[in-house]
Formats: sequence, C-alpha cells, structure tokens
Amino acid sequence: MRRRVVQSLSRAWWAGLGAVGLPRERWDALPVTRRRAVKAGLWVAIFLVLVALFGVWKISALAVGAVIFVLLAPAWDRLTIRGWRIGKWFAPAAVIAIVAAYPYYVNSMPEVPLFGPFPQLSTLVVMTIFTMMALGLNFVVGYAGLLDLGYVAFYAMGAYMAGWFASSQFSKQHLNIGAIGLYPGATGFHFSIWLVLPMAGIATAVVGVLIGLPTLRLRGDYLAIVTLGFGEILPQIARNGDNLFGTGFNLTNGTGGITPIDGPGFGNWLGHHLHLPANFLTAGDLDSVFLWTGIVLVLITVFCSARLRDSRLGRAWIAIREDEVAAAAMGVPLMRTKTWAYATGAFFGGVAGAYYASYKSGAFPDDFFFQISVFILAMVILGGMGNIWGVIFGACFLTYLDREGLSNIGTQINNSFGTNLDVPKYEFGIFGIIIVVVMLFRPEGLIPSSRRAAELHEGVHDEPLYDAEIA
Amino acid sequence: MSKKFLVLALVGAAVVVAAVAAGYSGSARSATSVTPLPSSSCGPVVYKGSGKPDFIIASDLPLQGAIRHQTVQISRAVIWELAQKGWKAGSLKIGYQSCDDSTAQTGGWDSAKCATNGRLYAANRSVIAVVGTFNSGCAKIIVPILNRANPGPMLMVSPANTNPGLTKHWDPGEPQKYYPTGVRNYARVVATDDFQGPADAMWSKSLGYKKVYVLNDKQTYGFGVATTYKNAAKKLGIQVVGFKGWDAKQSSYESLANLVKASGAQAVFLGGIVCNNGAKLMQDLRSVAPNVKLQMPDGFSDPLANGAVAQGAYISVAGQPPKSLTGTGATFVKSFGKQIGTEPNPYSQYGAQAMQVVLQAVAAGGGDRAKTNKAVFGLSITGGIIGNFTINATGDTNLTPITIYKQVGKKLVPQKTLIPAANLVG
Amino acid sequence: MATNVSAHAPLRAKRSASSYVLPTAAALLLGLLLLWLGVNFVKGPAYFFTISFIGLTNGAVYALVALGYTLVYGILELINFAHGDLFMLGGMISATMLITVFGLKAHSSTGALVVALLGSLAVAMVACGLINASIEFVAYRPLRGAPRLAPLITAVGMSFILQNVAIAWKGPSYIAIPNVLPTGNVFSIAGVVYTWEKLIVIIVTLPVLFALLWLVLRTRQGKAMRATAQDRDAAAMMGINVNRTISFTFLIAGGLAGAAGLLYALYFGQVRYDTGFSLGLIAFTAAVLGGIGNLPGAVLGAVSIGFIQAYNDGLTWHAPGSDWTQSIVFAILILILVFRPEGLLGERTPEGA
Repeated sequence: MRRRVVQSLSRAWWAGLGAVGLPRERWDALPVTRRRAVKAGLWVAIFLVLVALFGVWKISALAVGAVIFVLLAPAWDRLTIRGWRIGKWFAPAAVIAIVAAYPYYVNSMPEVPLFGPFPQLSTLVVMTIFTMMALGLNFVVGYAGLLDLGYVAFYAMGAYMAGWFASSQFSKQHLNIGAIGLYPGATGFHFSIWLVLPMAGIATAVVGVLIGLPTLRLRGDYLAIVTLGFGEILPQIARNGDNLFGTGFNLTNGTGGITPIDGPGFGNWLGHHLHLPANFLTAGDLDSVFLWTGIVLVLITVFCSARLRDSRLGRAWIAIREDEVAAAAMGVPLMRTKTWAYATGAFFGGVAGAYYASYKSGAFPDDFFFQISVFILAMVILGGMGNIWGVIFGACFLTYLDREGLSNIGTQINNSFGTNLDVPKYEFGIFGIIIVVVMLFRPEGLIPSSRRAAELHEGVHDEPLYDAEIA
Repeated sequence: MSKKFLVLALVGAAVVVAAVAAGYSGSARSATSVTPLPSSSCGPVVYKGSGKPDFIIASDLPLQGAIRHQTVQISRAVIWELAQKGWKAGSLKIGYQSCDDSTAQTGGWDSAKCATNGRLYAANRSVIAVVGTFNSGCAKIIVPILNRANPGPMLMVSPANTNPGLTKHWDPGEPQKYYPTGVRNYARVVATDDFQGPADAMWSKSLGYKKVYVLNDKQTYGFGVATTYKNAAKKLGIQVVGFKGWDAKQSSYESLANLVKASGAQAVFLGGIVCNNGAKLMQDLRSVAPNVKLQMPDGFSDPLANGAVAQGAYISVAGQPPKSLTGTGATFVKSFGKQIGTEPNPYSQYGAQAMQVVLQAVAAGGGDRAKTNKAVFGLSITGGIIGNFTINATGDTNLTPITIYKQVGKKLVPQKTLIPAANLVG
Repeated sequence: MATNVSAHAPLRAKRSASSYVLPTAAALLLGLLLLWLGVNFVKGPAYFFTISFIGLTNGAVYALVALGYTLVYGILELINFAHGDLFMLGGMISATMLITVFGLKAHSSTGALVVALLGSLAVAMVACGLINASIEFVAYRPLRGAPRLAPLITAVGMSFILQNVAIAWKGPSYIAIPNVLPTGNVFSIAGVVYTWEKLIVIIVTLPVLFALLWLVLRTRQGKAMRATAQDRDAAAMMGINVNRTISFTFLIAGGLAGAAGLLYALYFGQVRYDTGFSLGLIAFTAAVLGGIGNLPGAVLGAVSIGFIQAYNDGLTWHAPGSDWTQSIVFAILILILVFRPEGLLGERTPEGA
C-alpha cells in the first residue's frame, strides 16, 4: 500500500512539472552530477524559505545553505585519490568537523522553525555523553538482543566511581595522582580524570559481569525485569549509603551526593607547552573543551562498536539474537557471549557516567531513576537497533529534546497559537509515544541495519535455550 | 574527476570560512545591551526603569512542584525590592531574570539543571550576581561553579539555604571544598540549621516533653536539622527515643507510625520538607497515634502544602514573624502583601532582603564581579526589611532569631521568637 | 552385551553434593527469617499482630493488581508494564468519582457511602477494563508475531503514556482523597487494634477474588482463557476465538486494576501519577513469587510481600527499616527468578525449546 501511495504521488509530481515545461525525459537526460546539484539546491531553497518565513533570519542562514549544498551536491563517497578510496570517510569526517567547530559558530546561527535556536554548547556536551551511553546499550540491546531496563545502574556506578576517586569523599585518606585544580588543603582520593575514566569503565564492567552471571540465563522478559530491579537497587544503595548497614561507613554520602568532583585537565606543563587546557573547570571555554573531549570519547566508542560488530564476538551476538538454539548447536558459548555483551555495555556506560559526573561536578542519587534507562532505550530504538549511525542520531535527537528541544517547541507553539502548554511536562509521555509508534510501524528504527529489519518483520526463532516453562 | 572535487572542496571551505567570519562579526554585541539568559532555564528580562539595563541579577529557585507557592512569591518579592530601588544599584541599571532549577519530572530541584544554570550565570558577562538558591543541595553545586567563574568569583546570596556546611565547618572538607579558588563568594540572610534545631529543642522543652521521636527525610536539609535537634534535645535533658528516616516514595507510613506510638514518645519531630510526602506521613501519624504532638522545622512552613492534618502543629521558621517587622519591613508586609493579595509567606521577606544585600554590594562593586563579591563580606544593613544586621566574613548573618509558629487553619500564628543559647548551637 | 551388574546392590544414582547447596541455603535463610519473626513476636505479641494486620491489608490490595499481571502473563506470556499505571488511573478515576461526582466528604452517612463506593467501583472497573482492552487491541495485537522483545518494549512505552495522561489530567502533585471510610476499631483485644478500614478492604477484595475464581474455573469463558493460556494454537483449532478471549482477559485484568485503584484511593488516601510504577513492581514481584500464571499463587505472593513490607517497616528488633524496603522486594524478585522461576506454587516443566 505504501508503494502505491508513493507511485501515485510521483506521477502527480511529474504531471505537474510536465505542465510547466519540465517533463521527466528532460530530467532523465541530465547528467548525474547536475541532477544531484539540482536536488541539493532544492533542499537548500526549502531550508532558506522555511527559516525566512517561520524562523529568525540571520545572514549566516545563507552560509548554512551553502554548506548544505556543498555537502549534498557532489558524490563525495565516490572520491578516490590515487587509488585510495577516501570517499567512505567523508561522511564521518564531515560530521566530526561540523560538531568540533560548533563552539565557533553556534552564536551566529539563525533560528529554525519549530525548534527555535540551535542547541547550546552545554547541551552538545550532554549529547556526546548520552551518545556514549546509547552506544553502550546498543551492545546489549542492538547487537545481542537482550532487553536491559536497568542501564541507569551502570551510569550510577560510573558516576560514583568518579565520586570516590576524584573528590574529597574519603577524606581520611590522602592520595593524589595527577589531579588538577584541587582546593587548598584537599584530602581524599584525587586521581586524574584520565585515570578515573578507564577505572570507572572497568569497575562498572566487573559489576555488569557480577549482575549478569546469575541472570543472563533467564529468558528475555525475565531478564528485563531483573535488570530493572538492579537498576532500582543500586540507586537505593547510593541513597542509603551514608550509613551502610548501620556500620557508620559513609560510602556514598547518602542523598546529599558527592560534590564537588574534580574536573579533567592536562596540567600546567602540558598546558604551557602544547597549549592544552590546564584545568577544564577554570578554562574560559569550558563547554568547548568538554565537547572536544566528549567527541574523542564518542569516537573511541564508535571505533570499538564497529570493530566488535565485525568480529567473531559480534557475529556470535547476532547468532544468539536470531536463534539461540541454533547458535548453541553451532558451538557459540551462550553465557560467555551474553556476558561479554553485558560487560561491554557496562564499560561504556561507566565511562560515560564518570565523565558526566566530572562535568556536573557531582554525583547525586536523585539523578538515577528508572526513566533514564527507558530514555536511553528509546534512543537505541528510535535510531535503529544495532546500527551505529542510527543510535548516534537517536541519542543526539532525544537528548536535545530532553534538554532544550521540548521547551523550545513549547515556546514556539505557545507563541504561534496562543496556548499555554507546558510541553516539557509531557516529556516522558512523548518518549512513550515515540517508542510505541516506532515499535508498531518501524521497529528497526529510523536508520536500520537491514538484517535487524528482516528479523523484526519476519520474526525470529526466539525460544531461548534455557527455559523453565510455567504450567 | 578528482580535480573537480578539489575545486569544489576549496570553494566550499572558502564559503564556510566566510560564513563563520560573517557570523562572528555579525554577532558583536552593542556595548549597552545585555545578553539575556536562555529561555530553557529562565524567564524573560524584567526591567521597568529607563533605557536599557546594564546588568542582570538572576534568581535561582525551584519553580515547579509543590513548593511553587513559596518560590514564585519569593521571586515576586525580589522584583518588588528591585522596583523599590528604582531598578538601579548605585548608578548601574539592573534587570532581573527568574531562573528555574527544577524539572517537571522530579517536581523539585535537579542537580543537572543546577549545574547548567550555574554555568550559564558564570559564562554570561551580563549577569553580575545571583539571588538563590532555595535548596542547600543546589547551592552546593552552584557555589563552586560561580567561584571558578571568569571574570572574578561571582556572588550568590541566598534567602533560604540553611545547611551550615556551605559557610561553616560541618562535614569533612566543608566549607573549603565549595571555594576552590580560596576566596568566598557566598552569603545568606537566614540563620543556619544549627540554630533552628536547638530552637525547636528549646520549644519542646518549654512545652514539657520528656520523650521525643525524631524522623528525617534523609535529605541534606532534613537530616541536618533533625541531627541538630536531636543533639540539642539531649543536652536539654529530653530523651530521644528514636531517630529514623522516612522514604518519600512509600505509600503508607502506618507501620512507622505504629513504631512511634509504641515508643511512648509524646511528640515527634519531622526533620524534612513537606514535598517528600510529608502530608501522608502526618496523616498516618495522626490516625495511628493521635496523642503524639507534631513539631516541624521550616521545611513545613507552607500551611497550604501541609493541609488540615497539621492543624495545631508547631513549626519553626528562621527570622522574625512578618507582623512584628518594623520600619521597612512593615512597609514590605503591607505593600507587597497588597500586591499579592494575601499575607506574605515568611520566606518572601528574605527574598527581598537578599536582593537588597545584593544591590548594595553591586553598587559598591561598580559593575565588577570580584569587587561586588568582596563588598558583601562585612556589609552592614541598617533599616533593612528584617532589621539591622551584618554579613560576617564567612557569609553568615549575625541576626539569628527563630520563630515558633502554630498552624491555625491556613495560617501560621507566631507563638514565640527564640535566640538559641550558644552552647546548644552546632 | 549385558553389563556386569551385581545382583544384590540395585543401581541408584548418587546425588551430587552441589545439589544440596541450594536447598540448604534456602532453608537457612528461611530459618533465619522465622527466628527474626519469632524474636519480634516474643518482644511484643500485640504489636506484632497489629503490624501483621497492616501487612494483610496491604497484601489484599497488592493481590488484586498481581492477579491482573498473572492473568495477562498466563495468556500472552507478556509482562504488561502498563498494568501498574492502569491501576493508578483506576485510583484517579475513583478519586474523581468519589470527590467530584458523588461529592463525598469525611464522615458521610453510611447509605451515601455505600452508594458512592459501589458506583465508583463499577465505573472504575468498567473504565479500566475498557482502557486495558483497547491498549491490547492497539499496541499488543499487531505485535503478536513479532519477537518477544517488541511487545515488552511497547508495554514500557505504554506505561509512560499512561503516566503522562495522569499528569495531563490531574497534574504532578498528590490527589488527596478525604477520609470517607469509617474510622474506629472493629475490635481491640489486648492491645491488638483492627480498624474498620482494614475490614472494608478485605470485604471488597474477597468477593472480587471469589468472583474471579468462579469466572476462571466454572464458566465457558474461563475455560477458553485457560485453554488459550495452555496452548494457543490448539485452542484455536478447538474453535475458541483466540482474539476475543485475549481481549476478554485484558478486560478482566483491567477490571481488577480498577477495583484495586478504588481500594488504594480509599485506604491509602492519596494517588499520584507515579504511584502505579512502584506498586506495579511490588505486585509483579508478588505474582512471580507465587508463580506467574497461577492465580492462588498470585494471592499468596501478594500477601507474603505485604507481610514482608509491614514487618520490615514496623518491627523493632533489627528491622532494616523503610529505607531498604524497595531493595528487599527487588532482591526477592531477583532471587526467585534466578533460583526458582516457577515461584512458590508453580510447577517446573522440563526445560527445552
């Protein structure tokens, strides 16, 4: 039915153009390059018109249009220089360049219709952090097909690792390894954030393995509930951790949270010689340096994602996702494979959590609640389960909506229609609708991997290998 | 083929560079207008003076959830004070923006929002100082951010934070850990919890209680005031028969109420804020143990949020009761009260007072953040809304009365104003 | 080739030592629990009974919600995440009926009270039943053939939507229901207090339970439900309209949630948009504890969880306290799912696809 609608629309479109004197034959006769240029030009024109009519016009809109044209018109992905197919790197390189240069042009961007002004730098930093988390969850849900509803536990673990090793929480100890920007007289563990990030990742991965060992043999829906349970238990331990089991040991400082947490930095020597920021938290362009570091972290995550996907482990994940029995029969070690998926997801969740805690300069138990797990799950689902680009898009878009987008949209709607809606209040309802609509109509997500699309539409043999059937 | 690409790439790069340059130069601000804080956190700039404002003073309050009544009123009191001073601090024209550190989901303050707001204030050169916050936990996040602000440490004056650790030695590492540059940048116009708990204990003693049960909501403020109450009560000879926390997410506190009843306590002190399910807790306490008297600190200072169940309970609030204010204070109660159509909440006077302190500091600082910050320590206010007082070198006020109110209907009726003895404090 | 089996010693499989570990650990845990309860009982028997009655009443409310979970799981093998939020909507509908439509205030006359209760009960049950059936039709039926992950994720999304409906309708703060149930004690023997409210909860719950049991065990529709739960394809082949049976099951489950919502509103006195989430998880734990898919099991599990919660909060000797209640409930859930997934009353069938 969708094909028929598209066909009839296409016929109407060409009939209309033919009447004006631009029939289909003339279009088909054009060389490919010119057709691409015309299509790109059309998109640019639509964009400029929309901004002029419904947004806030600035001269930079023309520059944005020019950039869009340059990106879309030529067939960059076919670029070959002296036999090196560098074209396939074009898209990622362009995206990285555009995002890395964001601090320089964000203030001069026009305002687009509906979404209003371009997101702030701080929102972009949070986008990179949630992209890392979504990519981490992608290992579990996207690659291995295990539903994890307690991802927030890993986020919490990472944040508290940063809290333990980069703040004055354990003030009776005094250990300082490369920390930057301490207040005079600071005690406690103060490790350099560059050390804390991998530590947090590894510790969270260990916790992930410990959680996974008894639970990963459960079937899908039970696993979801159990992970949800852990996602609730860990924050509650954080909340009650100021007097752990009545012993008086202050592990997490209870509901007050651990604050302040040190920031990253390269120190004075590197700062002076290589012009790297000495202390992120006192840097004049604080959000920019956090953004660039965040981009580097996301790149590392994407690299690991891509390599693992194409490795033996990745193929084992796909196998158990599609048919556990067949996979086990072919010699794939089920428990070990699932545990690896869980541990990898936990690792990146922990690193992201630690980085976020350092950015916010605090770790509070109220930051970790169930809806965040579903929020990250929605990113993976909306973007495309198992597809790296899809997950990145889903993460960026939903984070933007959460932080700024919904309030901007609300303001725009209220201004245009004179209503008094408080759109951010309905945030999780909107995410719920997104999840339900995507699952009903396009479960493979916006940017799918074709394999996953096939699985979801044709169905898989998803009777788990270990299954206690209840009468 | 590749030559065409190279040409296109060069053209594209040139276009981009030109655009960035154009954008950069186009965004140069005129020297006299302010950059408002973004609407995702703050309301619009409020300025009713002549011309355009030179600087912005922002208030950082939780404007969503059950606490709305009080915080929106505080924001309006701040505007009232600014209007009284003719929208000026000395010769500088001041605009005001009301910023929200709460989210709809949590219904209270949110740590990420506090951090974002703090960064926004620090990064925006038009913002000269901040009035806030309402919750001590949020202040602990914002103060270090403003401390590291470049230019100069930025001042924040709070009308409501009562956790002592922000200015005094309390938990390990406090208060130095909130001032990474070593320079203080925070002051407040209310007495801290280490005064409120003892005042409540003194009141309990005067009512003749011998056995008291202490509950807390396990958050920074609630736990702190419950602890200071417990310590002072013990020093005064009252037996504290229990010290437990209540979980805000529980649906029923019947078992806890039974525990309180079984302990033989004559009164129960609820250290916490009412939005942590305080109303249900009080309801269950009343239905299971109707003879046990309720006593609460200023986390329960809104009779509308408490509901009818708190009828007859004793509630302490830092500061003088609005009715007993004199001079400027009485004018405030009358004029502001007329503006909002009801008697002002006790916190509103502090909101206005904090704004007065900030305006005086800004006038002395002449538009420089560091100088403004320095001007507040040792600042003396005479004829202020809450009276005459001085901000000492640690940022605390030397005026520390605590008033005990009784909830009658929808109002708080003052019973007695106490100044706790020094040996009970801390 | 006959193996050389000695005639006098019959072959018996030797039980490995490791298979004793689990039952021993479980017995130890249970023993410690009983010891703890015993000490607390000795310290204050009247108080212990008072707390037990609190637990029983809480358990009754949980039972109604747990039954809804178990019914749906039995027939579709789907954990309906949205069920707890449906219960919350039932509570809100009841609150609206009681306060706005019937205009009840505290201490109304008994006649008005009974009329209002019955009316609100009927409206809440019908409304929640219809909502549940429509959710099934819109969101779960199209995904009948999809991998099991899909309807589960959809249920999570549905849960959020229902919560937001509540926020949009009534706002994010608590709705207080006036104390309309008669207060005062039914009896007060030797310090053991049993109030009227608790009795009314039991009075409403028991008939609903019996009606449900009668429906499932004695009627044709009930037989169709049991058949579909046992084997969907065979039931279809026997002429049962599977779609209609599933819709009917959702209708019944919704009705139970509505009744539970009314009871919650009356007994606990306040509802908020997130009440359903925490209570739903407790009820789901109860359903799993009793044996998911098993109706008496759900009731048993719910009452057990009610007791555990009340003892945890109320007992004086070494009780962890209300801080740890949620963790304890989840820990029970995890332990049951890992070590005894068929629950207390379920039967373990042979493993395998």
